[in-house]
Amino acid sequence: MDLNSALRIPHSAFTRREMLARTGTGLGLLGLAALAERSAAAPVTTPSNPLAPKVVHFPAKAKHVIHLFMNGGPSQVDTFDPKPELTKRHGEKMDLKTGRAKGSLMKSPFTFKKYGKSGIDVSELFPEVGSCIDDICVIRSMHTNIPNHEPGLLLMTCGNPQATRPSMGSWLTYGLGTENQNLPGFVVLCPGKPVVGPALWNNSFLPGVYQGCHIQNLDPKKVIEHIRNTEVGSGTQREQLDLLNQLNGLHKEKRANDDQLDARIQSLEIAYRMQTEATDAFDLSKEPTKLRDHYGKGYFADACMTARRLVERGVRMVQVFYGGGQPWDDHSDCEKGHRTKAKDTDKAAAALLRDLKDKGLLDETLVLWGGEFGRTPTSEGQNGRDHNSKGFTVWMAGGGIKGGMAYGETDEFGCAAVEKKVHVHDLHATILHLMGLDHEKLTYRYSGRDFRLTDVHGVVVKDILT
Amino acid sequence: MLPTAAAFVLLLAPAAEPDAKQVEFFENKIRPVLVEQCYSCHSADAKGKKKLKGGLMLDTKEALLKGGDSGPAVVPGKPAESLLMKSLRCEGDIKMPPAGKLGDPILKDFETWITAGAADPRTDTAVKASTMDIEKGKQFWSFQPVKEPTVPTASASKNPIDAFVAAGWKAQKVTPVGPADKRTLIRRVYLDLIGLPPTADDVEAFEKDASPDAFAKVVEKLLASPQHGEKWARHWLDVARYAEDQAHTFGVQPKNQAWRYRDWVIKAFNDDMPYDRFVKMQLAADMMPDAPTDPFEKYAGMGFLGLGAEYYRDAGCGPRADADELDDKLDTLTRGFLGLTVACARCHDHKFDPIPTKDYYSLAGVYFGTKMSNANLGTPEQVKAYADAQAKAKEAEGKLNKAKEEQKKVEKDKKDDKEAIKAAADKVKELTAETDKLKKAVPPAPPVAHVLSGNGPGMKVNVRGNPTVFGDDAPKGFLQVLPSAAKPGKDFDRLAVANAIASKDNPLTARVIVNRVWAWHFGRGIVGTPSNFGVLGDAPTNQPLLDWLATNFIKNGWSLKWLHRQIVLSGVYQLDSRPDEANDKIDAGNVYLWRANRRRVDVEQWRDSLLSVSGTLDKTTGGPTFDLKNAGVTRRTVYAKVSRHEPDGLLRMFDFPDANVTADKRVTTTVPQQQLFALNSPFMTSQARAFAARAEKLGKTDAEKIAAAYKLAFGREPATQELDLAERFLKLPMKKDDKLTRWQQFAQVLLASNELMYVD
Repeated sequence: MDLNSALRIPHSAFTRREMLARTGTGLGLLGLAALAERSAAAPVTTPSNPLAPKVVHFPAKAKHVIHLFMNGGPSQVDTFDPKPELTKRHGEKMDLKTGRAKGSLMKSPFTFKKYGKSGIDVSELFPEVGSCIDDICVIRSMHTNIPNHEPGLLLMTCGNPQATRPSMGSWLTYGLGTENQNLPGFVVLCPGKPVVGPALWNNSFLPGVYQGCHIQNLDPKKVIEHIRNTEVGSGTQREQLDLLNQLNGLHKEKRANDDQLDARIQSLEIAYRMQTEATDAFDLSKEPTKLRDHYGKGYFADACMTARRLVERGVRMVQVFYGGGQPWDDHSDCEKGHRTKAKDTDKAAAALLRDLKDKGLLDETLVLWGGEFGRTPTSEGQNGRDHNSKGFTVWMAGGGIKGGMAYGETDEFGCAAVEKKVHVHDLHATILHLMGLDHEKLTYRYSGRDFRLTDVHGVVVKDILT
Repeated sequence: MLPTAAAFVLLLAPAAEPDAKQVEFFENKIRPVLVEQCYSCHSADAKGKKKLKGGLMLDTKEALLKGGDSGPAVVPGKPAESLLMKSLRCEGDIKMPPAGKLGDPILKDFETWITAGAADPRTDTAVKASTMDIEKGKQFWSFQPVKEPTVPTASASKNPIDAFVAAGWKAQKVTPVGPADKRTLIRRVYLDLIGLPPTADDVEAFEKDASPDAFAKVVEKLLASPQHGEKWARHWLDVARYAEDQAHTFGVQPKNQAWRYRDWVIKAFNDDMPYDRFVKMQLAADMMPDAPTDPFEKYAGMGFLGLGAEYYRDAGCGPRADADELDDKLDTLTRGFLGLTVACARCHDHKFDPIPTKDYYSLAGVYFGTKMSNANLGTPEQVKAYADAQAKAKEAEGKLNKAKEEQKKVEKDKKDDKEAIKAAADKVKELTAETDKLKKAVPPAPPVAHVLSGNGPGMKVNVRGNPTVFGDDAPKGFLQVLPSAAKPGKDFDRLAVANAIASKDNPLTARVIVNRVWAWHFGRGIVGTPSNFGVLGDAPTNQPLLDWLATNFIKNGWSLKWLHRQIVLSGVYQLDSRPDEANDKIDAGNVYLWRANRRRVDVEQWRDSLLSVSGTLDKTTGGPTFDLKNAGVTRRTVYAKVSRHEPDGLLRMFDFPDANVTADKRVTTTVPQQQLFALNSPFMTSQARAFAARAEKLGKTDAEKIAAAYKLAFGREPATQELDLAERFLKLPMKKDDKLTRWQQFAQVLLASNELMYVD
């Protein structure tokens, strides 16, 4: 069975046996590992296509994804896309056809500086990230469909502007499974609820096990629903579980050859272990103080460090939202707003990159930083910036990404992507590619047709791959 | 960019005739760009609207080669000499499209396409005329009229179902395993027909009843129970993607009375409403001449479409949202009632089934522009009283506002006239009291049903599903492959759709519902894909059985209770679930039903079973929803809140389907998060306490209490080993910080056991 047919699982064929193999209740662990192994190493061939090896044979460069989601939409011209022409023509009236506020050109209040051997310009907002620039590929030519939060967020997370499709994390766990059965495979860290909410990590028509596990409170005792028993101690619970196992065993004896009964028995044991393991994964007090200082303080810093602890333990994808609501949405006083948010983002994101690198995890972990769209180079009101879907910046690092690279360009004012444009679908295709998946072949048969994360779009951005 | 297979072939064979791969490349990579980026200014349509630019049309092969005012647009084989290429690269004077340069991958596609000879299958119109052969498509089994098959005679059972199933056994050379014991059977049929386990008394009575119709009596009792509708409504609600809100929250109102649709479905099943009427009432009750007069009965079923998807429509997303909402309606109604994936024909002719794109828009045109609205369910008196009271309050408020203005004026103009000031103040005071009184007197708003209203004027085909690019007219009508009494045209309306579906001449409607009911009883349909009876769906494993059920279902007045009775009284339903080595070798998946399928119960039945066993089940029927996060509410799970925005954790964890789309069946997953619920949730521990208290009263010694608990939970005595294990557990000393007693801990173990979670 090639990967293609392994992943092309129609609803009707989701038998109990296959589900077991995919949900890893102990019994299925081997199958899952084998699947992941195959996608990582073995050439994937589709016999009907004579050019197959060149087109679809790629070993996985990355095993995990950490998405640092700057929800609300940071401004590209104030962060990673310097525009001298914008500064020069500050105050000029200009209709940039963004379909949004039409103020005059507004220069960035921040200065830019070249960093690293690669000499890539980064704004004063991100000195720490700047110092990691030789590990980073800045994509300055991103674009998306609609300059508003809901469709923008959904397109970035699920590849579709309406809330009806599975999220990328769901697709990844569906396609690759996960490496640690004692933890959820797809974890979403966000204090409170971002705009749109749970649809951003929804499994939609994929089975429920692929839904993102949203964690608001990073307190190890509260991270996962029902992770702790408040009524009896763990010793007593062990005794209860032993009795339950014995009774389930007697029940099973009379019902020979039924692996669904075994599966539940094993699943109970995993749940028992999960209580300790999951709690442990979130326990930042076990980290050295010095390292914690590098990350800084606050939810985002803790979430970044937690993300590292999770991928270290085999979690497939961790999505860290900068905050609830739409924090980067600076319609007024962009300077002040961006300065505050960049401060803790910069420190924590850079600490994460360095930490991953020190632990040898950066090579297998793809880090993505960015918002759902960018902001206008023209002003909104006195000193704000409006939404902009035509051009924005994201950066990636680790897991098969060329470091020290700036890819693509926006126009002279930093408004619309013009050179080497990268659509969100292309970004998704590239991420799946790095994870060893062909975005055109990772499909799910539903409602009579095969669905993809990238729908009918998406081209892998090969130039940025190592 | 990755060169695709097609692109490579093109490069190797630049001068060849356009073959299938070249055409495919054009269709996948070039045509969509032309349609979306160019046609609005460069097509026959643009010319008709006087919007044609540069005299250039790009919607036919001829026009493309001829070019516009500046000369040919494309020189096949020579991208460098092709004006189109130069314009797309924004290299010369002409920079296209005006909104901005397209991405490099697209430019590369165009280059590849022109280099390879610019294969172009388009003839004289932008929209490909459908070449679909509907008559040929009709030959497929599911589009053929249903004919009643002869019942095979060589069968011991009087139930025709058994005769048909036995024919399958014979053909496959499998042997049925024999009937289940009475205790297994009664638990199975209780969970199947009412979604609750039998009580110990129920089990005992059935075991003692030796009469030949003992089982039939139980079945009749269950079918007549109000809990029957509560169980079966939930199955239909999966299909109807029932929910009380939308996935997104921007600019949408939650539908606070959505639950009335759920109650309507429960009542319909309890009343055994004929299925053809059930269909019609949900689609067009407002237009039916014989609709009930009671407004709840008349309108609440229309929530089927009235509670459908409402998508994000800000920032220019309106046309797409309209189109997506139409698609939700068409998808739910065609997969739900007809088992057809009509939504596949939204952008192109259906690739497998005889459904041209035009049919999609003919049907969509019926719903285009219809409104999600509220139908009043109050009595005329209620409505009048409410309106009158509101009007009075409003009038008083108006007077009050005037008096307040007057007061300000007086205070300003007649500063020294104390009397005038006092008089004005008194008037305000008096009117405030009056207004408050009238406002308080307004009775609660009359109840409403969330419905779909209006009829669409028809549509044009949306080219490639793009709601802003229009093709041919698609006169309103039904799918061509299926019969319809009403002819296509401007008078074709929602009622015509309903009539065409709820017709005995429709080859799909009856087959689809009997198959659904079969699947909900057995875990697998005769057609394994209950919402897809098309070419890509599963073939029926026993078509004569399916057709016998469908024809006799209609003959018996489309009665679902008839169908349930027929199925559960069959021998095949009553088989044991034990495995068999010889049969396993032939049919391990038990497709031919030589035994019963052991199944994990659905989350509703599991939670309801726990409540029932613990003695806490609140049997109140109907009404507003409750939140499952509230562990103290002990109503049946069917009454819990269903959200598209934030699906409940317990439901989602146990494979409840996503309510954004119609669901034909539930997958069964076994994951540790479910077990964390069983081990640690406040719901489980509170039920454990209740169950412990209930069983404890029934005995004096541990052994007696244990026996009582087993009877309550499983309707049986504990086995010696079970009794022994339980006694030993209860003798363990209490630990210091435990808040549950040993007896309560034991109760939780029984509630969490496989025996309560699986049905044999």
